[in-house]
Amino acid sequence: MASISINEAYKSYGQLEVLHGVSLDIEDGEFVILVGPSGCGKSTLLRMIAGLENITGGEIVLDDLVINKLPPRQRDMAMVFQSYALYPHMTVRKNMAFSLKLAKASNDEIDQKVSMAADILGLEPLLERKPSQLSGGQRQRVAMGRAIVRDPKLFLFDEPLSNLDAKLRVQMRSEIKELHQRLQTTTVYVTHDQVEAMTMADRIVVMNGGHIEQIGTPMNLYNKPDTKFVASFIGSPSMNLIDGHLDDDGRFTSQEGLSWDLKDFAPKSAFGEKICLGIRPENIFVDGEGVALGEAIINVVEPTGSETLLSLRAEKANLHILDRSRREFKKDENVTLTADKHDFHFFQASSGQRLS
Amino acid sequence: MSDAIIQSAPVWAKPTSRYSDLFNRALILIALGALLIFILLPIFWMLKSSFQSTSEVHAIPPSWWAANPSFEPYVIANKIVPLLKYIWNSIFVSASAAILAGIISCMAAYVLARFRFPGATLILVTILLTQLIPPITRVFPVYFLIQNLGLLDSYSGLILAYTGFAVPYAVLLLRGYFQSSVPAELEEAAMMDGCTYFGAFVRVILPICLPGIAAVTIFTFLLAWNDFLWASLLLSSGDAKTIQVGIGGFAGEGGGGRYPNAFMAACVASTIPALIMFFFVQKWLVGGLTAGAVKS
Ligand SMILES: Nc1ncnc2c1ncn2[C@@H]1O[C@H](COP(=O)(O)OP(=O)(O)O)[C@@H](O)[C@H]1O
Ligand SMILES: [Mg+2]
Repeated sequence: MASISINEAYKSYGQLEVLHGVSLDIEDGEFVILVGPSGCGKSTLLRMIAGLENITGGEIVLDDLVINKLPPRQRDMAMVFQSYALYPHMTVRKNMAFSLKLAKASNDEIDQKVSMAADILGLEPLLERKPSQLSGGQRQRVAMGRAIVRDPKLFLFDEPLSNLDAKLRVQMRSEIKELHQRLQTTTVYVTHDQVEAMTMADRIVVMNGGHIEQIGTPMNLYNKPDTKFVASFIGSPSMNLIDGHLDDDGRFTSQEGLSWDLKDFAPKSAFGEKICLGIRPENIFVDGEGVALGEAIINVVEPTGSETLLSLRAEKANLHILDRSRREFKKDENVTLTADKHDFHFFQASSGQRLS
Repeated sequence: MSDAIIQSAPVWAKPTSRYSDLFNRALILIALGALLIFILLPIFWMLKSSFQSTSEVHAIPPSWWAANPSFEPYVIANKIVPLLKYIWNSIFVSASAAILAGIISCMAAYVLARFRFPGATLILVTILLTQLIPPITRVFPVYFLIQNLGLLDSYSGLILAYTGFAVPYAVLLLRGYFQSSVPAELEEAAMMDGCTYFGAFVRVILPICLPGIAAVTIFTFLLAWNDFLWASLLLSSGDAKTIQVGIGGFAGEGGGGRYPNAFMAACVASTIPALIMFFFVQKWLVGGLTAGAVKS
């Protein structure tokens, strides 16, 4: 059990700076997910916490102790790698017992801890197998078993599910979450998949280009994205974002020819500004009530049963709608769009920051 | 092996015709058989001659089988030259060089495969360059080097030379092996589990890389075992001679003409240790130990 603070962490590879001063406090028992597009520095940050990468600048503090210079073996953290990194020459049992052996635990203790972990993860029938005789999902489980036998201060996961097929991924997602609820070990988890982040995290850290865009609970990020980037990254299908201008009378006009009256609820700071207006597909309604968004023509209809994804053309703009009314739509149908005034997001066009 | 070839034959044969398929298989089998005979015939000749009498060896038409197989030629060979002593010398020198080269090259290769440090590229290029120089040009420098060290006519001199010849090649080979078959994440996992760098190397990397290290060790052993040039150069006097030099001496003194059976016996004796060594380690040469480490 431990808390960890990252203060103004920098990382450079030679001349190339890939982390530009990242600060983050993780509390004891928390499940924190680092999420962001590929190459944004998530793995680098995680590996700095683990001690597998040097820290170019700043501090990493584990329970009031600065651990910048501590080698991985002295940090008491366990890591699950994307490739699982199981020891191919050892059986499942030996893979899991390896760290305990190194820590000079007694044979009884090793046996007891390994069978407990195997029991939690359903690995008992596989204990004498080699990793090459396991399926992807089983290997993933062994990698987790290797982490939990140690009862470490911190669990680190680097995209542990990205090599699994879609169905198994959903299953492992809830298993990992359940495991965390049971063990209550502080966890830092890296993924590029925002759905994974939303479903599992206590708090999400959205990263982009080597810095943190926003930290918050899943619902917090969904309801009040701080930046245009977070708005587009969190939520699926992603938010409609329309560049335009809000004049002093509160009328929003875009280059594509949209013209909406937002004066009753647009934030003061947005008036007279070039803005980016955001609205989620699930927040636009066909023939509903509220703010009128004009007419549109349906381009593509993609029903999934419970909901239907519509691509529409409003003036010259492309919009997406997620309709949950289970009404049947036809291509080229003409519809009237509306939205609730609380569901509009205003971002400054130049900086991408939220206006409110 | 032959199975795989036979199975791939129908790719170019017409799949519709059963007979042409059979015909193709037969052709391939015949070709393989001919090749096998071509390779094995000299070895068989050596083997059977080593159990025959001199007149049988010289007989025309050739006698293909030892009518009264006897170990006599081996006894004679051992009388003409101290065969066992020479074989022992060879084993000692070759094994020492192989083990030494194995240890040095796997440590050097690991460092060159994993760590970035100033001069790493320079070292690699230098190693590569040594492989481009024709070996014969090394004769004088190496001879004088060994002489100056006072190691002429000693096992140590020869072991040092063989090790030196094998290491560059072994390092290049093993470096590639470390890079391709041991993902860096394995060591990182070991370090997270509580290993030091060296611990991760010994407990995880070495066991996984045994096939590669075995290959390098055998390669060095065989290189040393089969060498004639350096052994005859660096060991000019009596007792320390290796088996290759010994057999060379046997032939040189006319023994090969007078006792062809004993000469063949000496040749057979000289191949046996290398064969045993090969069978002993061949299971390590079959790779695939890393299968399952990383899902690709
Ligand atoms: N060893 C390295 N040398 C140089 N650049 C690196 C190295 N490792 C990662 N990078 C760079 O750092 C950035 C962040 O990488 P990474 O943390 O792996 O991204 P993510 O895990 O978010 O996909 C990338 O632009 C990557 O190219
Ligand atoms: Mg990554």
